[in-house]
Amino acid sequence: MKLIKKNKILFVAIVAYILVLFIKPAYFVEGLKQSKYYFIEMLQILPAVFILTSLIQTWVPTPVIMKYFGDGSGIKGYGLSFLIGSLSAGPIYAAFPVCKTLFKKGAGIKNIMIILSTWAVVKVPMLINEAKFMGIEYMVVRWVLTVVAIMVMAVIVGRLLKPSDIKMTEEKMMIDHSVCILCGKCLNEYPDVIVKTELGFTIRDDKEASEEIKNVCPVGAIR
Amino acid sequence: MSTVILIALAVIALGVSLRKDKDKTIKTVKQARNMMKGMLSDIVGILLLIGLVLTLIPSETIESLIGSESGFLAVVLSAVLGTITLIPAFVAFPLIGSLKSSGAGLVTLTAFLTTLTMVGFLTMPLEIKTFGKKFTIIRNGVSFVFAILIALSMGVIL
Repeated sequence: MKLIKKNKILFVAIVAYILVLFIKPAYFVEGLKQSKYYFIEMLQILPAVFILTSLIQTWVPTPVIMKYFGDGSGIKGYGLSFLIGSLSAGPIYAAFPVCKTLFKKGAGIKNIMIILSTWAVVKVPMLINEAKFMGIEYMVVRWVLTVVAIMVMAVIVGRLLKPSDIKMTEEKMMIDHSVCILCGKCLNEYPDVIVKTELGFTIRDDKEASEEIKNVCPVGAIR
Repeated sequence: MSTVILIALAVIALGVSLRKDKDKTIKTVKQARNMMKGMLSDIVGILLLIGLVLTLIPSETIESLIGSESGFLAVVLSAVLGTITLIPAFVAFPLIGSLKSSGAGLVTLTAFLTTLTMVGFLTMPLEIKTFGKKFTIIRNGVSFVFAILIALSMGVIL
């Protein structure tokens, strides 16, 4: 079951092919033939796309750009937002924690809009991939239109929302009192985070979740 | 042609990286391999489905549904389809490339492609958890509208 969940798309494809095999075997062969062309094309570019993506991550890591970020205002801030989005790897949801960190550092709504949108649409290895299947002209025109759209979108959303509209839900830690054995290890190591009450140990309200603190508990009661 | 550019670019970048730091480069290549492994099943699945779609759905049907004459409603529907689909972006290119060669229009394909990456229905809960409801709804809403605007402009220019 887990295997199916992990390979959902492949599973759907295989089931579809099996169905076709029973209903119309000729289509089964034809489908595979049609796929063959795309397999060959993808095989040629896949290793290069992944190597380029990883190389960018290694030599221009997102945390390094974030260091120069400042409060993200002005041309420099918007330019860096653009760089973070277009040089980072991964789908858009991989950008959420990055934006959260920058927002805490003082980045504005506009910055976050630029990062999220460029992260989604503007990627160097992807642009070459796009040119391959859709033609260079298509790629260039779409790129220009998208960049313009991102700028306009950032301005619009920047007008519509105030920074206070973004509610950063802090991940809170808690101690499960049914698991806690009151060993006191957490209190010893993090006296500024843990407090002892009549209920047992609890965590101060203003403390953010941290893996280090969670790991200190020998029975895993802090989560 | 673009394949050659891409491979050349990767080879050159790899060479420069190797000269600067051998260990780091080896680690990077391993990372690339892992990334590829992680996505391989999705890629194979999509490519298989592309073949099946092209076989089962005649190109006349594709053309009449999302061809260049198909109208505004088809564009909006493509954008909605892109919003609810979650597939890796770079398999989206062979997908829309294949649809284009069977008669689909640029405007509908662009609408699908742009919302696919920029607007996410399935990732919304995660986005709400990170930024709150208001931001998520406005960002996705504005992005959806602009995806359609980009698509329509593509139709005018190309």
